[in-house]
Amino acid sequence: MLHSILVAFWRSFTRRPLYAALNLLGLSLGVAVFVTLSLLHRFETGYDGWAPERDKIYAAAIAFNVPGVAPGVRVGAMGGLLDEMKLDYPQVQGVRDWNQAAVIHRGATVSSEQIELVDADFLTFFQVPLVAGDRVSALRDPASLVLSETMARKYFGAVDVVGRGLEISDLAGGNAYTVTAVIKDLPKNSNLKLDFVRRLTARDIAPESTWHGWGGILLQTYFKFDDPTSVSALEAQLPAFVDRRVGKAFGDAVTPHEVLKLSFVPLQDVHLVDPKQRAAIETLRLVGWVALGLALINYVNLATARAGLRAREVAVRKALGAGAAVLRLQFLGEAALTIALAFLIGLAMVELALPLINAAGGLSLGLDYRLDGVWVAGIFALVLAVGLAAAIYPAFMLAAYQPAQVLASSRTPSGGRFGARLREGLIMVQFAAVVAAFVLMLGFLGQVRHMQSLDFGFRRDGLYLVTATRGVGVTPQQRQAFWSAAQRIPGVTGVTASTTAPADDAMNVNTTAIRLDRPVGPKLPPTLSWCGVGPDYFQTLGTRLVAGRLLDLAHGGDEQYVPNAGPETVTNAVISRGAVRQMGYASPEEALDKLLDFNRRKTRIVGVVEDVRFYSPTEKTPAKLYTFNGYPAYWPAGWPITLVRYSGLSEAEVRARLEAAWRQAAPDVPFEGKTALVNLDRYYKPQRDRTNLFSLGALVGAGIGCIGLYGLAAFNASRRTREIGVRKVLGATRVQVARLLIGQFLRPVAVACLVAWPLAYWLLRRWLSQFDDPVAVGPLVFVAGAGAAVAIGLLAVGGLAWSAASAEPGRALRHD
Amino acid sequence: MIELQSVSRLYRSDEIETTALHGISLSIRRGEFAAVMGPSGCGKSTLLNILGAVDRPTSGQYLFEGVDLAKRGEGALAQHRARHLGFIFQSFNLVDDLTIAENVELGLIYRKGLSGSRRALVEAAMDRVGIGHRARHFPHQLSGGQQQRAAIARAIVGEPDLLLADEPTGNLDTENGAQVMDILKGLNAAGATIVMVTHSPSHADQASRRIDMLDGRLVASVAQAL
Repeated sequence: MLHSILVAFWRSFTRRPLYAALNLLGLSLGVAVFVTLSLLHRFETGYDGWAPERDKIYAAAIAFNVPGVAPGVRVGAMGGLLDEMKLDYPQVQGVRDWNQAAVIHRGATVSSEQIELVDADFLTFFQVPLVAGDRVSALRDPASLVLSETMARKYFGAVDVVGRGLEISDLAGGNAYTVTAVIKDLPKNSNLKLDFVRRLTARDIAPESTWHGWGGILLQTYFKFDDPTSVSALEAQLPAFVDRRVGKAFGDAVTPHEVLKLSFVPLQDVHLVDPKQRAAIETLRLVGWVALGLALINYVNLATARAGLRAREVAVRKALGAGAAVLRLQFLGEAALTIALAFLIGLAMVELALPLINAAGGLSLGLDYRLDGVWVAGIFALVLAVGLAAAIYPAFMLAAYQPAQVLASSRTPSGGRFGARLREGLIMVQFAAVVAAFVLMLGFLGQVRHMQSLDFGFRRDGLYLVTATRGVGVTPQQRQAFWSAAQRIPGVTGVTASTTAPADDAMNVNTTAIRLDRPVGPKLPPTLSWCGVGPDYFQTLGTRLVAGRLLDLAHGGDEQYVPNAGPETVTNAVISRGAVRQMGYASPEEALDKLLDFNRRKTRIVGVVEDVRFYSPTEKTPAKLYTFNGYPAYWPAGWPITLVRYSGLSEAEVRARLEAAWRQAAPDVPFEGKTALVNLDRYYKPQRDRTNLFSLGALVGAGIGCIGLYGLAAFNASRRTREIGVRKVLGATRVQVARLLIGQFLRPVAVACLVAWPLAYWLLRRWLSQFDDPVAVGPLVFVAGAGAAVAIGLLAVGGLAWSAASAEPGRALRHD
Repeated sequence: MIELQSVSRLYRSDEIETTALHGISLSIRRGEFAAVMGPSGCGKSTLLNILGAVDRPTSGQYLFEGVDLAKRGEGALAQHRARHLGFIFQSFNLVDDLTIAENVELGLIYRKGLSGSRRALVEAAMDRVGIGHRARHFPHQLSGGQQQRAAIARAIVGEPDLLLADEPTGNLDTENGAQVMDILKGLNAAGATIVMVTHSPSHADQASRRIDMLDGRLVASVAQAL
């Protein structure tokens, strides 16, 4: 049996190379897309898989139900959550991870890194893998430091660096630390980024109001539960816990748990806690399945089409005593071999294409056969199972041929009308998927372009952001010296400071704003996103004034810093157009001169500016309130980010000049900065990357569809050689015959459009609904998507139809 | 060896009912060489298919060595064909993708309980019909006569009890036709039972018995002197 399967398999290559190549190529492409997108899915859903007790670990998360604050679960908590939980539930086990900026001193050179301030039992809690040192004792001493292999190599040129010293400045000031352990580098798909780790101590803890400020997100808090029931049991008690602990902090009329929902998110779900992200990943996995499906449709089509050619063989084998079961086994065996070979070729394609895919999708996927052997075997088993399921129909159809009928007729059977209909139906399904994919691809690309051309409310190009000014240990004099020097750089046209900048959410503060021009209602007042700005902020950013005036030093009441401010002190502020709506004013003009209670300070609105889009395109632009400080050099550490407007300079030039100015002003602090465009890109890149991946998948899918269409057209053309001869003898011209053939080949493609359009429309609408400003979908996208599919189909069958139509009738009639 | 009793075969398509065989009774003894003659559409091939157990009678009884085949299942019939029957077709019906040797081997591979080397049997059968030197060729590389000899080798490689030949010379020129007839006669002389459908009176005359058919009925069954 095995021998006869191998012979049939081998002969299909040597005897009908075109058919075999089309069949294998289609299947391999399908496998390649499927494996790649499965790899992506595994990467994205396998976060923190290195943690041995991943299944038992949960992260604290909060969701707000407050007007003006986007809904959705945010992973994170206030600093004191763990302390308060332990007071009420002494049995809970938890650790905190507070990510902070740090400056590492190495002799005269300084560099910026991230440091994790964690509880003493953090390493044992996560069972963090170490290459040197001891997990239990590593963080016992507040002066001890744990770093990753990569960082050990970077700063010491070796891995075994236990006992070596390093000076680090962070929010606790500059201190000397001794390395007590080295962490084995964690995989890229890890939420925990453990470059530098030190112990969180009492001196780090922020003022009580921030540390125990309910609703704030300061750090990550992780809990460990030994069984799932204890999680749900504790979660059920959380609303009561929130009410008890928050008390009246949110106001008398508010039930805290209705405004703030505390929950536990399983560690493995933290990365994709945003349902939009998860949906995007699941969609890509679906694309993988669709590609595999398209490839298997090819297989079924070509196999059933070719079945007619093998009918005589089946009849002979049966006449010679083969039972149907034996033949089914033979054909399934041939299918299994084909699929196995296609899988190998597909894997090779994945290896070849991964660099390209990683570049297109901004990914770092890879296959390590020593570690991923089981996974690859699992995927192979899956592909084989699905492939064999698809191969059952052709195998059974072939094995069912009746020898008496086949042997009696001089013509080869075609598999009957059912077979032909099935093939046409499958081609239609295939092309419906291709048309839908094209339409979606065009829609996605349209949205990506739309987002890039959108009015952001400020000028994105020629804007440089210097974050070094908010660094730990930077003095007001250093900031001021830098700003003065920056202003003198030729090509720099404006320098300003603020607490927030494009794509910078380090200082994201939402505060309730209460209108004082009407009675206070019982409902929770709306919140506004606060931004402190220095002189010339709006001018430098390029944000248009809508009504009133901007803030400046000349108007005395604009200065937010008022010594000995009392309850009656009034300071001026500017709000955004969105804030006008949020606060319920009829128009920007109507908001002018109105009073607000903002963060317990009486605030007068003196101007309204355009909304600015600083964050994700899927996020609603927050309603903003701007307050003014004439001397932002005196802001606390962490506040001032510098915005530099420039023109006529390249990105590299402006960076070099700003860095030189910074080194003069603050040689002990590393320079940090990037353009607004680069900074903003982190919100747009994932969308673009996924669109690229999807487009790649759609194009390969279209290729698979074309292979199938071509294979089937080639088969039909050769079957119909006699018919073509008869038509030509009866006087049909070459053009007429070609038109007839093309029309028949493309009929399923045309029907496919009608199926694909509504499907694509629905999917596209759903996808676009996540964006704050979706592109308008016109009919052009649908026509173009279908047109592209038809054009590709024509390309596949046009030449074939023409050459079939060109055959001499005499030769065509001799053909059998 | 074979007993057909009132065997009829009806074909039903959507609206038309065609009777291919009308209550045929026929017996064939071991060692006979029967030639079935008759015009196109008289039911010759249907009769052969029923004898070959690739078709079943609509009514009547078919006994092979006393066993009623009409009552056997699909798998049993397949084994019956593999063990007892050999087929020779007008259009040879060699499998294009298999070499001549592999085609001949097909006559053995579906047979259960075969002991010994298949290769030796295959080579012997090919030598018997004089195509041993073509073992590694594909069917399309052979002449019609050579292809038919290969098909005969495939039919006889399993030493079948009954050899069924459907116009074995129909696609061949006179010379090749004569060679095929010589082979069949030689096989019959060596003890093979053969039923052959033919249009050629001269080839029919070479059989030990001539059966004439018309419109699905037996009209004559005459023993012939060789």
